Amino acid sequence: MEEAIDAAIENATCTALDIDMVVVANMLGEATNDQAHLGAMAASLLPHQPPALRAEAACASGAVALHTACAMLESGKAETVLVVGVEKMTDVPGSVIASALMGAADAEKDSPSGLTFPGIFGLITNRYMFEHGLTRERLNAVSARHHKNAVSNPFAQFRKEIPAEAISASPKVADPLCMLDCSPISDGAAAVILSTKHESPLKIIASQLTTDALSLCDRQTVTSFAATKDAMVAALQEADITRDQIDCIELHDCFSIAAIISLEDMGFALPGEGINLYTNHESQITINASGGLKACGHPVAATGIKQMIDIAKQLKTSEKTYGLTHNFGGAAATCGIHILEHA
Amino acid sequence: MRSTPPSIHRAQANLKKKLQEGTILSWTVVHHPPEGFPSEPRIIGLIELEDGTKVAGQLIVNRQLSLAIGMHVTPRMRLSQVTADGLRSYDIAYEVPVHQDVKQEFPGYLLALTGPSGVGKTTVSILLSTKVGSYVERVPILTTRPPKASDEDEYIHVTTEEFLNLKRNDELAASTSIPSSDEKRWYGYRKKDIEAIWSKKKIPIVITEMGLLQGLSSTLGRRSILSFGLLPPGSSKRQMLSSLLHRLRERGRDTEKQIADRLKNAEEDLKFFEDQKDLFDHLIINDELEAVVESLSGHVLKVAKA
Repeated sequence: MEEAIDAAIENATCTALDIDMVVVANMLGEATNDQAHLGAMAASLLPHQPPALRAEAACASGAVALHTACAMLESGKAETVLVVGVEKMTDVPGSVIASALMGAADAEKDSPSGLTFPGIFGLITNRYMFEHGLTRERLNAVSARHHKNAVSNPFAQFRKEIPAEAISASPKVADPLCMLDCSPISDGAAAVILSTKHESPLKIIASQLTTDALSLCDRQTVTSFAATKDAMVAALQEADITRDQIDCIELHDCFSIAAIISLEDMGFALPGEGINLYTNHESQITINASGGLKACGHPVAATGIKQMIDIAKQLKTSEKTYGLTHNFGGAAATCGIHILEHA
Repeated sequence: MRSTPPSIHRAQANLKKKLQEGTILSWTVVHHPPEGFPSEPRIIGLIELEDGTKVAGQLIVNRQLSLAIGMHVTPRMRLSQVTADGLRSYDIAYEVPVHQDVKQEFPGYLLALTGPSGVGKTTVSILLSTKVGSYVERVPILTTRPPKASDEDEYIHVTTEEFLNLKRNDELAASTSIPSSDEKRWYGYRKKDIEAIWSKKKIPIVITEMGLLQGLSSTLGRRSILSFGLLPPGSSKRQMLSSLLHRLRERGRDTEKQIADRLKNAEEDLKFFEDQKDLFDHLIINDELEAVVESLSGHVLKVAKA
């Protein structure tokens, strides 16, 4: 966390002392390290101990923290906010992590059946294949592309190309999903500084947060996520741009199927056709150039903030104008979409 | 999973509700079940119960049988897990009977008429009900928008809260929200309205738009929908839009601003017709009213007599 905060301050046009608020995104501190109260902990890493709070919305904690920071800036409660996401997942056995992550689902409706998160997305994938005729082989393209993209990203957890056939040949986790369809267990931290006072070529022009029923059992469909759809419509409206103007996106591919469904829900592909953006190499937009959650790792609460850093880097190098981050929690029971503009 | 005596007690109170037969919506095999559950791979299904509620539950499957979406299941009380302090917790699991054909639900036909604003959907539907009225009936539209003087009896007005409650309880066959200047407006169809029309042995008709058509097709199944797209005359998109503009102006119901909005929507709608061809059985050009109604009633009579 310290490393991420130092890097953010170093890259910013302000100094540590300009920070007048800290928002920490974290989901599993209690379960993994017996540590709650992360706001004060993060604030202690700064010389002047500014006020701090913690935001939690499972894997969407990062987006919720960013949204909270934006709200504080807009209200005038703060002028410069440090937003940091952190997760330390490898200190405890996988079984502890698996049950802690189930906290993102409905503890009364989903968990008692013995479902795990891969299980929930297994149900979604199977239904999606039934409705849209997606084949196991075609689905391989998603993870293969993410791993390929990560090769050039020094911050990725796995910088190794993986051939498409290897994805479906990896051990089954929750049919039809295999190990290489799932984002890994990771340690990680990411930090950004948002300010209404200090200049930056990058500007957040939309910050939208939406929710949906917590349990899959309470949804009309499981092959499309209403929260993503709603957030996208609202974000485009807030930014006052059209979908076609967006050049690059970082989307929430906690499982390969989630990438496809999200592309469809955001309107970049028609229902059932999201996979074409992976199998077809000439797509208009850049998707998960960083390697996404699959190859970069998914330290849950850090992810939403890491996505924003990746989009910022991509806009700076490509000199394009608009980029978007899409971060959801659970099976998209919370969804946050942010749009960045590069001047 | 932390199962404590109070939480298990609470769960028991709901077991009875889950004691129903159902249909598999989806299934998966969890190869590493969470702590507290038996360690062998666990087959779990997302099941739609008879009363329409959905549950996630363990599936009891005969090894030789291959599972399929759409299979029928029967509830069984099963020991689910034993907690660290020896408390035995029971849950409902669902058994897949050995011999069965996968039932493809086919509730009946529904006729859907989709088209951009101003193309003449309402006119066509009125003519249709005079012609084959004994076979068809319109499904009322549930909406949260305030009543207008020009409304006919096609709308049922509800508050947003009521609407969202119905949606949450899965009582809607389809719903969509359309942002308007001050708030989000919801539109939808109730399942019970459609079922009531079926029970009268009539064919439900919906005059609808793209979002609702997609919703209906995923709830009822694409096969159940006789889907007609109604297009304005004109060989190019520009001509189509201009003929719509004329009709909207002639109708005189909207202000210029509203007409501009409607045209903007219509442009997107026309794109939808191109992109989503598979959602339509027939595309009809509305240049001669008589011919359109004639062709539609032909389809209705064919289905009604089948």
